[in-house]
Amino acid sequence: MRYAISETPVIKRVLRSRWLQWSLTALTLLFFVLAIIAGLAGTPAGNRNFGIVFVWIVWWALLILLLVPFAGRLWCGVCPIPAPGEWLQRRALVQPRPGGKLYTLSKQWPRAFRNIWLQNAGFLGVALFSSIILTTPMATALVLLGFMIVAIGTSLVFERRTFCRYLCPVGGFIGLYSQVAPLELRVKDTAVCASHTEKTCYTGSDAGYGCPWLVFPGGLTNNTTCGLCTECLKTCTRDNIAIFVRQPGADLLKTTGHKLDEAYKGLIMLACGFIYSTVLIGPWGVLKETARAVGTPGWFAYAGIFLALNLAVFPGLFWLAVRAGSIPNPKYPMSRLFADYAAVLVPLGLTAWVAFSLSFVLINFSYAWSVLSDPLGWGWNLLGTVGLKWTPYIPGLVPYLQVPVLLLGLTAALALALRTARQYGQSPWAATPVAIFCAAATLGLLGLYLA
Amino acid sequence: MARGRLRGKGELFALGVVLLVLVAFPAGIFGYQAWRTASAGVKIVNIVARAPEQGGFSPDRLSLRVGETVRLRISSPDVVHGLTIPGLGVNVDEIYPGKVVEVDVTPTQPGRYAFACTRWCSVDHWRMRGVIEVTGAAGALLPTQQPPLFQQLGIDIDAMRPAAQATPSAPPAIAAGAALNAKLPQDLTDPAIRRTLPPAAAFHDLRADPTNATLSDADIWNLVAWAWLKDVPPTALARAETLYTRDCAACHGPDGKGQGPAGVNLPGMAKMDPAMPKGPADFTDAGAMLAASDVLLQGKLLRGGMGTGMPEFGSLYSDTEQWAMIAYLRTFLFEK
Repeated sequence: MRYAISETPVIKRVLRSRWLQWSLTALTLLFFVLAIIAGLAGTPAGNRNFGIVFVWIVWWALLILLLVPFAGRLWCGVCPIPAPGEWLQRRALVQPRPGGKLYTLSKQWPRAFRNIWLQNAGFLGVALFSSIILTTPMATALVLLGFMIVAIGTSLVFERRTFCRYLCPVGGFIGLYSQVAPLELRVKDTAVCASHTEKTCYTGSDAGYGCPWLVFPGGLTNNTTCGLCTECLKTCTRDNIAIFVRQPGADLLKTTGHKLDEAYKGLIMLACGFIYSTVLIGPWGVLKETARAVGTPGWFAYAGIFLALNLAVFPGLFWLAVRAGSIPNPKYPMSRLFADYAAVLVPLGLTAWVAFSLSFVLINFSYAWSVLSDPLGWGWNLLGTVGLKWTPYIPGLVPYLQVPVLLLGLTAALALALRTARQYGQSPWAATPVAIFCAAATLGLLGLYLA
Repeated sequence: MARGRLRGKGELFALGVVLLVLVAFPAGIFGYQAWRTASAGVKIVNIVARAPEQGGFSPDRLSLRVGETVRLRISSPDVVHGLTIPGLGVNVDEIYPGKVVEVDVTPTQPGRYAFACTRWCSVDHWRMRGVIEVTGAAGALLPTQQPPLFQQLGIDIDAMRPAAQATPSAPPAIAAGAALNAKLPQDLTDPAIRRTLPPAAAFHDLRADPTNATLSDADIWNLVAWAWLKDVPPTALARAETLYTRDCAACHGPDGKGQGPAGVNLPGMAKMDPAMPKGPADFTDAGAMLAASDVLLQGKLLRGGMGTGMPEFGSLYSDTEQWAMIAYLRTFLFEK
């Protein structure tokens, strides 16, 4: 059951306009530039610095509470980080070059890395230092600048948006969780694509560029690799591509054919959700201090535990759960079962992150008002809001929001576990260990949030 | 052709916008700040206040000129700090992290003005100090002040002193002592002399005076208490109490018993002579306090140290505040 919202004439016209993506990206670039300047030259006090407040509270809230769950990779379509590199690659800002020509060395990304393993590693690297990055404006600015420099470099050497597809640490989990979104970009009729020999959606044309995400839209079966840049809507000569409103989580209903890198991404996200909930908002100040004390023996211990939880403990427990379920009927390879059962981690992990984010976004959002007036902490009062005091929003209601969100994620995860078992011809009991894993994870998070 | 021109114009417009974002916008931010500073009409000095372990005040030395108005723009990146510049009448109770506090100062006299944090921002809070050097028209500082009394009198403030042998059995009452005012000898009515005497010595002299034979020991102690506090106005005592709460109570305790939370495990304690008393002084210890003259206590207040890490307060308290503080310390034994 789908509805093609892009077929509405007004929406279609807007989506096909070449100014749409550029204007939104220019706007996000403005905020990005301000975040960088605030980080490099503004006050080091995070709660008074635009770089911290607008990146890690406002943007993060927008991303994890709204954009990803409801619009998938929409952010990737307007993200400012790859924009300068893409503009340099195109030698144009808005209008396409004839034939969608790109000015790059057009190197192909090494085959061994055409997956999200590097994104997993990048995310782990950022997450390991998150206690510093999330609270230190200078660190935030340097990380964002680093992303942009790498994005520009890869744009000049490699084809299209190689950075977004294979390197961006943020894009990895946005892609994974975008499978939940009730929005998708797909072709209307695959037969039309099959008969279209030019494949302008992939190769580019005078109307636009070939898919920047290196995806052939005709083969799209889930949201993970579509950046919603709408370039293919402009280049498809058959008007065969549309944006659909669909059943939430439709991508996950196909519970076979998942990949190990995505499974690990799901596990890493769940583990990090746990670690953040414990370290950053838990009542144990010593953990937070240790996580910030980079280079000390305590920090090395923290780093060891952090990496062990992400790379061994959570994957190990999940592997054991899948293995236990498959013992009565061990005809499928474990790696396949492991990857396919990992689909349960998508709703489980996303809701864990939503619950975690609710706890600090609602508490800290009010910093945004004073930062709007004084983004660099230089004593400005541009909008007259600098005196507005920090006010937690509905702090008493936060647990009442977290509990249903987590239970919703658990319900979806259990349903997916049963569906996976069914698709493999297993008894419903085969899903029990994975269900126990999901329930234990949810109970653990509930314990952290409600204790 | 016309369409191509239109496209070209569109690209130029987009390029203009991007250049505005990447170049003009940052330039505008710094330009606005520069204009703001220039239009303030005064010299602006930015001071960042960090916990002492992270560097304290930055800068911690400023050079100003007499008559020059300077706007101090103080911010904190970490915890709540305070700022006092006693010599210039500046007292900022709270500098919240990320908030900018502005204070205008116009020094009227050359000299060295100490400034300090007034909030217990870390265990090393007392290290958070700085100095403003104010020069006159000729660039000269004020002549050096007289050395403090304890130095003039050659008092070794670190020497071990025997505890007072005679101590009151109940807290001496000033009001009761006031009724015996006529009994006060000349040396106890003159502050310059009285400050050099330990109260225990005054008690001993008064007790030995045959004209006081009819007075009980308690009466004599009441008289001593009266002698020590009679010239201290209530406002001075109130100010001293404020300063004590701000600067001393964390180590010496609000009750003066030397058991404040910040006085535990003080740096340097392990290296102290085992014969020396451990920890912050107990102002309710009659044996020690009654054996100490005001001049001796002033010396300790001025210099600090004593192996406990006590900061010096000579640069932060005015002369009046120092004597008021010493009088306030006496009130831990004497009833006001």
